[in-house]
Amino acid sequence: MSIRRYLMLIIISIITLIVFIAAIQGYKASMLQAADLFDVQLSSFADTLISLEPQKNNIKVSSNDTLAFQLWSNNRLISKSSNTPQQAISSFKHGFSEHNFMGKRWRVFSLKKHNTWILVAQLLKPRFELAEKVILSAVTPIILTIPLLSIIISLIISYGLKPLQQLKEQLTKKNINDLSTINMEHAGKELQPIIDTLNRVLSQLDKAYEREKRFASDAAHELRTPLSVLKINAHNLQYELGSDNESLNNLMASVERMVHVVEQILKLNQTNPEQFSQQMKKIVLTPIVQQVIAQLYTDISARKQIIEFVDNNIEIYGNDFCIATLAQNLIANASKYTPLGGQILVSTLQHGENFILQIEDSGPGITEEEINKVFDRFYRIGGDCNNSKVIGCGLGLAIVKHIVVLHQGSIKLSISPQLQGLMVTVTFPSLLEHHHTVAKKTVEVHS
Amino acid sequence: MRILLVEDDLPLAQGLQISLRHQDFAVDHVSNGKDALNTLAFADHDMVILDLGLPDIDGLSVLKEVRKNKSAIPIIILTARDSVEDKVQGLDIGADDYLVKPFDISELTARLRVIERRLGTANSSIITIHNVVIDTLAHKVLVNEQVINLAKKEYMVLKLLIENAGRIQSREQIESHLYEWGEEVSSNAVEVHISNIRKKLPERFIKTIRGVGYTVEN
Ligand SMILES: Nc1ncnc2c1ncn2[C@@H]1O[C@H](COP(=O)(O)OP(=O)(O)OP(=O)(O)O)[C@@H](O)[C@H]1O
Ligand SMILES: [Mg+2]
Repeated sequence: MSIRRYLMLIIISIITLIVFIAAIQGYKASMLQAADLFDVQLSSFADTLISLEPQKNNIKVSSNDTLAFQLWSNNRLISKSSNTPQQAISSFKHGFSEHNFMGKRWRVFSLKKHNTWILVAQLLKPRFELAEKVILSAVTPIILTIPLLSIIISLIISYGLKPLQQLKEQLTKKNINDLSTINMEHAGKELQPIIDTLNRVLSQLDKAYEREKRFASDAAHELRTPLSVLKINAHNLQYELGSDNESLNNLMASVERMVHVVEQILKLNQTNPEQFSQQMKKIVLTPIVQQVIAQLYTDISARKQIIEFVDNNIEIYGNDFCIATLAQNLIANASKYTPLGGQILVSTLQHGENFILQIEDSGPGITEEEINKVFDRFYRIGGDCNNSKVIGCGLGLAIVKHIVVLHQGSIKLSISPQLQGLMVTVTFPSLLEHHHTVAKKTVEVHS
Repeated sequence: MRILLVEDDLPLAQGLQISLRHQDFAVDHVSNGKDALNTLAFADHDMVILDLGLPDIDGLSVLKEVRKNKSAIPIIILTARDSVEDKVQGLDIGADDYLVKPFDISELTARLRVIERRLGTANSSIITIHNVVIDTLAHKVLVNEQVINLAKKEYMVLKLLIENAGRIQSREQIESHLYEWGEEVSSNAVEVHISNIRKKLPERFIKTIRGVGYTVEN
C-alpha cells in the first residue's frame, strides 16, 4: 500500500472513531440530563395531583397520554387514569422505579399522603427521544465535516509527501543507462540523506561505468595498434620475399587469426548487456544489412556462393552498430559453413506485431543436440579443428545472443525449408512494446 | 601522388610508409596534429591519411581545422576505436573515407586508387577487367578491343562499377552518384541504365546481387 493511502486511511479512521466515541459519551450525558428533568416533572405532577384532591374530583387522562396515575387507600384502588390497569402499577414504596404495564415501559413515582398512596407514571420513550434529538443535533455537523476533513487531510498529506513524489518522478524518468545525479530543491530533512546516498551511489556507479568503458576502449586501441603493425609488416615482408615462403605464410595466417579473435572478444565485451551503454533508436534494417552483405561480398564471391536479400523495409528499435554486428556474424557463418557454390538467403519480414531478420543457407545445418551448445562462448562444433580451414573462434553466436538480449528479442535455429541448411530467425519486438522499457534480460533458444 | 601520413605510432607509420611506397605512392610522415596542420599549410600534398588518436590535438579537430581553411584535400581517417559516433562524426565533418585498424593494406590502396582516379593524378587512366577496358581520360570503353557506344550516364555508372570492382554498389549509391553529377534521376533510372549497359557488354559482366546492388568482379 502507498504511504499516502496508508496515512489517509489511518487518519480518517481515527477521526471517525473519535467522533463516534464522543457521540456515545454525549448520548449518555444527555440521557442523564433528560432523566433528571423528567423526574422533576414527574414529582411535580404528583404534587399537583395531591392538591387537586382526586378522591373528590374526577380527573381525566386520555389513554394515549404520556402521564398516568393511581390512587390507593388501604389496598383499595380509589382512583386511576384510564391508561392504567386494575392492579397497582408499582409496589407501595416511596421513590422512583421503572415498571411495565399496558404494553409500555414507564417511570413511576410513589408517594404516601394521609393513608393514600399516590402512584404517578410517565412513559420512558420521550426521554430517549429527547436524548437522541440532543445528541443528533450535536453530532450531525461533525459527521458532515468528515468528507471535507478528508479532502483537507488528503491535500496536506500530498503536500507533505511532495518531495517523495518528486523523487519518484525523477527516478522513473531515468533509464538504465542514465547515471546522472538527482537534483531536488526542497527535499526535506528526512529525504535529503536518502538523496545524498543515492547520488553518491549513482556517481560511484557512473565512474565505475566510465572506467569500464574507457578500459574497453583503451584495450581495443592497445590491441589493435600492434596488430596493425604485425599485419602491415608481414604484408611488406611478403612483398619482399614473395608469397611462397612457408614460415611467412604461417605467420600471416596466425596474425589473421589473432586479429579475428581479438575483434570477436572486443565485440563480445562491447555487447555485454551488463555494461552496454549505447543509444537505442528507431533504425531501418535495409541499409545496415546491405552494407554488411557488401562488406562480406569478397569472401562470399570467392566461395562462389549466391547471396540474395529479400527486404521488406523493416524498422526496429535498436542500435545500428549492434544490428550490423549481429547480421555480420550470422551472414559470415552462413558463408563459412556452406560449401563452395552454395546459396544464402537473407530476409526481413513482419510477422504480426514482430519484426524478423532471417538468414538461411544451403549448408549442413546444426543438429538438434548442438543447437543449445553453439551459443556458448568458444564453442565450435567438432572442436578446434573444426572444418579444417574455416577461420573462427566460437564467439560469433555468443555475440549474437548478447545483441538479441539487448534488443529484447529472441533467436531460433531451425532447418531452412527452402535451402535445407541452417535457418536463423531473429525476432524483434514491435516498436511500441520496446518503447523505453528497461531491457528484460532473457534470451530464448528454441530448437 | 603525394600522401601525408599523420600517425603517432612509429612502427605502424614506418610499416605503412613501406607498403605505400611499394605501391608507388610518395609518403611524408608527421606524428602529431600540430605538425600535420603546419605541414598542410605550406606543402602541397594530394591527400591525407589521418589517425584519430593523436597525442596533442585529437584527429577530428585536425580534420575540422583543415576543412575550415576551405581545403578540399581528400582525407582518409584511421582509427583503433570502432565507436559508430566517431565514424559518423568523421564523415560528417568531411572525411572521405574511414578505416578501422587493423585494416588490409589492399583495402587501403583500393581506396587510395579511387581517390587518385578522381583527382586525375593516377599514372594510368586505363583499367582492364577481363575483356573490358575503360579509359577514364578518353572516356572510352572497349570490349574485345572494339570501342562501344555508351550514353553519358551509362558511361558514368559503368565507370563507378569498374572503379569499385569487387565491391557491391547499392542502387542508392549509384543513384546518389548520378545526383552528384548533376543528373536528373527517375525512380527506376538505375535499373534502366544497367540493362542498357548490359546489352553492350559481355554476358554476366555486371552481376546483380538481389536486394543489395550490382558489382563487377575482378
Ligand atoms: N550456418 C551454419 N551452418 C552450420 N553450422 C554453423 C552455422 N553457423 C554456426 N555453425 C556452427 O556453430 C559454431 C559456432 O558458431 P559461432 O559463430 O559462434 O563461432 P565460429 O563461427 O566458429 O567463430 P566466430 O564466429 O567467432 O568467428 C560454429 O563453429 C559452427 O560449427
Ligand atoms: Mg561465426
